[in-house]
Amino acid sequence: MNRRLHLSTPLRRTALAASLLLAATCSHAQTATEAELARKLDQLAAELASVKAQLQQMQQQRAASPQVTQAAPAAPIAAAAPAPVATSRAEPATVLSSYGEIIYNRPTRHSEMAQADVRRFVLGFQHRFDAKTKLVTELEVEHAVTSSSDPGEVAIEQAYVEHQLAPTWAARAGLFLMPVGLLNENHEPTAFYGVERNFVETAIIPTTWREGGLQIVGSFDNGLTLQTGISTGFDLTKWDASASDGRESPLGSIHQELALAKARDLAVFGALNWRGIPGLQVGGSLFSGGASHGQAGASARVTLWDLHTRWTPGRWDLSALYSRGSISNTAALNAPLVGSATLIPQSFDGWYAQAAYKLWTHEDYVLSPFLRYEQFNTARSFADLGPGLTPGAGATERAVTLGANFQVSPGIVIKADLQNFRENKDANRVNLGLGWSF
Amino acid sequence: MRLVLATSAIALAPASAFAVDYLSAEQAAKLMFPEAERFESHDVSLDAAQMQKLDAAGVRARSARWPVRVAQRGASTLGYVVVDEVVGKFELITYAVGIGLDGAVKQVEVLSYRESHGHEIRLPAWRRQFVGKTAASPLHIGDDIANISGATLSCSHVTDGVKRIVAVVDLARRSGALP
Repeated sequence: MNRRLHLSTPLRRTALAASLLLAATCSHAQTATEAELARKLDQLAAELASVKAQLQQMQQQRAASPQVTQAAPAAPIAAAAPAPVATSRAEPATVLSSYGEIIYNRPTRHSEMAQADVRRFVLGFQHRFDAKTKLVTELEVEHAVTSSSDPGEVAIEQAYVEHQLAPTWAARAGLFLMPVGLLNENHEPTAFYGVERNFVETAIIPTTWREGGLQIVGSFDNGLTLQTGISTGFDLTKWDASASDGRESPLGSIHQELALAKARDLAVFGALNWRGIPGLQVGGSLFSGGASHGQAGASARVTLWDLHTRWTPGRWDLSALYSRGSISNTAALNAPLVGSATLIPQSFDGWYAQAAYKLWTHEDYVLSPFLRYEQFNTARSFADLGPGLTPGAGATERAVTLGANFQVSPGIVIKADLQNFRENKDANRVNLGLGWSF
Repeated sequence: MRLVLATSAIALAPASAFAVDYLSAEQAAKLMFPEAERFESHDVSLDAAQMQKLDAAGVRARSARWPVRVAQRGASTLGYVVVDEVVGKFELITYAVGIGLDGAVKQVEVLSYRESHGHEIRLPAWRRQFVGKTAASPLHIGDDIANISGATLSCSHVTDGVKRIVAVVDLARRSGALP
């Protein structure tokens, strides 16, 4: 930093005036040619421009730092600077956050399958570098213990930098949650009803779905939020035709989560949400990206879209969502897999409708019973492989979940529910859960 | 619980300086009381009995000292403006509440919002819900104030903040601490 930057403004102004006077006197005393005068004028102009730039830099520094402003209250620049909001306090630059769920599942017809699990334990931090730039991270441990002989998993769930470009526009880069559906970006246990996340947003939309890439977020004054960008996508070379994972969640079995993700083929995505009326959200999203990366037998594309709405009139919390996914060129991909247990579906879809009611509140206690009906099919259709070879479409599962969330404090929730399935009745179960989020 | 690892002093300057700051406190006050000739600063200090009174009414007073801008025109008082900050989910939200002489909310303005989600609390439609609310109103998300999906904590905390300010101004006027 230039030493002159530390001079007080009146002093610098005096120095500037003196140098101007000196220059003028000198030029007068000498029998200077016009060329010499012009050169000196140019020199002065350059000096003035440099002083102006330094002045501007100082003003910016003072505006950005209240401590500097307070340290030199008498300086004319400080008087010209906008007064900070009276209540402004020092903001924490780094904030720790966490959420987690501890769950007990007890199948009503197969109690021998009952399980208790630390489903997930997530630690995150947000660090603000400056007023416009922050880092958001989340580190997740699933199933409590992770080792070669334990079922746990450790994953980075989010790691992105967000930079505010203008009041309306922000950019995110890194590993971020995809803006899809109602649950994916708001998946903390305090944010949804029921012990388990809904089936449509786990089997069809692979929540917690994240990709690496670049995202632009626009928040408009008419209540619209636009999120769009370019990202990594799925990897169809991971499809395991001998396992049932692809049947449970086609996209969940081929997501990459930015773990040495194949990135020859990228994806584009966009989401539009409108919240112009208090209590109402209406939105939709679209994702489409190549998933063969030049490695699969045929080039294929994964496309997923959804429409969703949530309305919270008074004590009610009503929501509905439909999502549909498709994979192109599956006939060519499935041809060598014929006879295997799980072929790649051409399409899969599902919808749900949910109603919750804030039945009882006392101070921070809130009891909200809810009912959710879901229909989903993870193999709605298969591409034609010829007679006798094309697998039949999967059965559409229908699930009813009836239960209640009990908020102990805004960050703590206790949940209990019953789930009944139309197709797989063996999966009928009772669930209990404890969740937190801060 | 929030663990503060470091602090960075960030000035809450007007919109031109930082993209996510929308209004200065002065701009908000003028917007709420355009007919005011001046705003006098009053520091309302609540005593223990008043704090207990608020607590009994279900309002967490949080602070004993409340700076209030009193809108004046000539010798007459037009109303009050209180600028406050609450934590949304992770970040501070700065907002201003304008209260008329009838004790009812005249206007709520969001001066600064920095969360990644929930910018919609800035929308006039959401803020308009507060207009006319008094110390007797529930001022509670899910009762008389509708939520914004995906920004529950920001909505709740701003609503709690408005309720607190309405109660503090009401108490201060009753005790004669405000004109």
